[in-house]
Amino acid sequence: MLRYVIRRIIYLIPLFFGILIIVFVASRIAGNPVQLMTVQNPHITAEARQRLTEYYGLDKPLYHQFFIYLAELFQGDLGNSYALRGGIAVTTLIGDYAWLTFELQLAALFLSLLIAIPVGIISAKKQYSKLDVTVTTTSLLGTCIPVFYMGIIAIIIFAYFLGWFPAGGAHSILPERYPFGSYVLDELWHMALPTAVLTFATLAPVVLLVRSSMLEVLRQDYILAARASGLSERSVIYKHALRNALIPVVTYVGLYFGAMLAGAPVTETVFNWPGVGRLFVEATTKLDFPVIMGITVFITIMTLIANLITDIAYGYIDPRIRFE
Amino acid sequence: MKKEKSTKLELQYQNEKSRPKGVSQWNIAWRRFKKNKAALVGALIIGFVMFLAAFDSLIAPYPPNATPGFYVGEARVPPSLKYLFGTDKLGHDVFSQVVYGARSALYVGFGAAAIAMSLAVLVGLVSGYYGGLVDNVLMRITEIFLVIPFLLILLVFLKVITAVAPASIGGLSIVTLMIGVFSWASNARIIRGEVLRVKESEFIEASKALGASKRRIIFRHIFPNVLHIIIVLTTLMIATAILVEAAVSFLGFGDPAAITWGHQLQLANEAVKEAWWEGVFPGLFITLLVLGFNLLGNGLRDALDPRLRE
Repeated sequence: MLRYVIRRIIYLIPLFFGILIIVFVASRIAGNPVQLMTVQNPHITAEARQRLTEYYGLDKPLYHQFFIYLAELFQGDLGNSYALRGGIAVTTLIGDYAWLTFELQLAALFLSLLIAIPVGIISAKKQYSKLDVTVTTTSLLGTCIPVFYMGIIAIIIFAYFLGWFPAGGAHSILPERYPFGSYVLDELWHMALPTAVLTFATLAPVVLLVRSSMLEVLRQDYILAARASGLSERSVIYKHALRNALIPVVTYVGLYFGAMLAGAPVTETVFNWPGVGRLFVEATTKLDFPVIMGITVFITIMTLIANLITDIAYGYIDPRIRFE
Repeated sequence: MKKEKSTKLELQYQNEKSRPKGVSQWNIAWRRFKKNKAALVGALIIGFVMFLAAFDSLIAPYPPNATPGFYVGEARVPPSLKYLFGTDKLGHDVFSQVVYGARSALYVGFGAAAIAMSLAVLVGLVSGYYGGLVDNVLMRITEIFLVIPFLLILLVFLKVITAVAPASIGGLSIVTLMIGVFSWASNARIIRGEVLRVKESEFIEASKALGASKRRIIFRHIFPNVLHIIIVLTTLMIATAILVEAAVSFLGFGDPAAITWGHQLQLANEAVKEAWWEGVFPGLFITLLVLGFNLLGNGLRDALDPRLRE
């Protein structure tokens, strides 16, 4: 198992560098960032521009800049922001925002798996029943509604018409507004609506995947054999079928988590949630390249870690992978 | 003996009309597709949106070429017979904007899907057929594109392009191109898998033995046998592209000059409390169109994929 894990880690390294190169080129493709930042400033002199360019090390050739960036990255330094909070270190900035993003995304991922797996199994067990049709139709619809639209509708209904939840943000402005005076409860109260929406959006494709995977497994000969040997239906489904049906689901969880993190700008903008996603939108609007690069690298690393965990889980569930 | 048999056959088919008609794979698929109500609903939805896009200037009661576009003079009027979906903050008719948004949505959907699928088919065919080093290199690149946080890069690219050329050079086309270039990877992997399966077939072996060139084998023998997968994936890709464009416009990184549903939602998000109708209707149309393409795609998969046959 250890050898398998090490092999997977080695495998992810070129992937990381590939993405790093693309992101680096993408952020510099338009030329000098100083030029971009100062294009709307009529008072700036050529001399000041030159000074800024030298200050940020942008006068060196691109590959040289890339190596400097890499060297700093391995020392845990992502550079300093161009435009936010007076040139704050990007690592500090991300550290301030990352937890709120994780909190929301992990809660939604966990809840959606908790709901999707049993629902998918029941739906597959009773294929073509009324319940199954309802579940598949709702899930299909769920994959078609843009997350931000779902968010807007939820805000209209639950925040404005019913007034049950706050419309946005992570905390009440005044501490007097905290439910029972608790900071934690206040955050949970603010989290409820975005978590619910994100859960439903993530839930829909997982339900469809669990269902189709379960149906596929139930057609296999070894299930027929298990039934023929007189095992109870419960044992057949939960002991023999489920483990095999979950293999494709596990593969997707890693990909979904990556997609959820990359989609954070959208979800966090709707609910005004102060996480890295909204920070990214702000940084992009201001062309703050160190922050843009930093968040992209951060999300990429998180996605790769999620993929690694997926791979390990995959090896654990499916012995064929481990001993290949 | 031999001659007798052939005359018999000729006699049987003397009358052209009595000759049994060949039933192609596509005929069978069409028959199956016709029975699938969900897929027909999907096609109907797409047809409806195409109709809106084709006759937008006739359908929309308040045209965009008035100054300012869609202007009706009354701001934030709730839906009524006069303003079907109400009016927005600036006094623009929401219904007319929704109608004009149909063309943008279809443009991005079809355009991005065409780019993404061309790349996916190329990579899938080459990687699957040649194997070896080529396959290895192409699949590593594909993996990079699978893991890359695509929406983030898309936003940066679009922002940089507007910063370099503020006059928004063909904004919507650039959004379309970028979505296409970044969303081929998963489709390429699926197509590659299919090519690997078809490649092992006996008829490929046979044409190799007959001395067919590699190009001929790829395009005349393998391509038609993975075409059904490509059609299904393209349909689903259109739905994804529409969703991505809506998200980009919603975040304010789309083409500000284009009339898109995502952009309408962005403006509506500033005032959901005062005017719910501003956002509800454009969002409904995004959902409807995406649903249409997904239903059609699922229907096509059921009709075209022989392995799903009972």
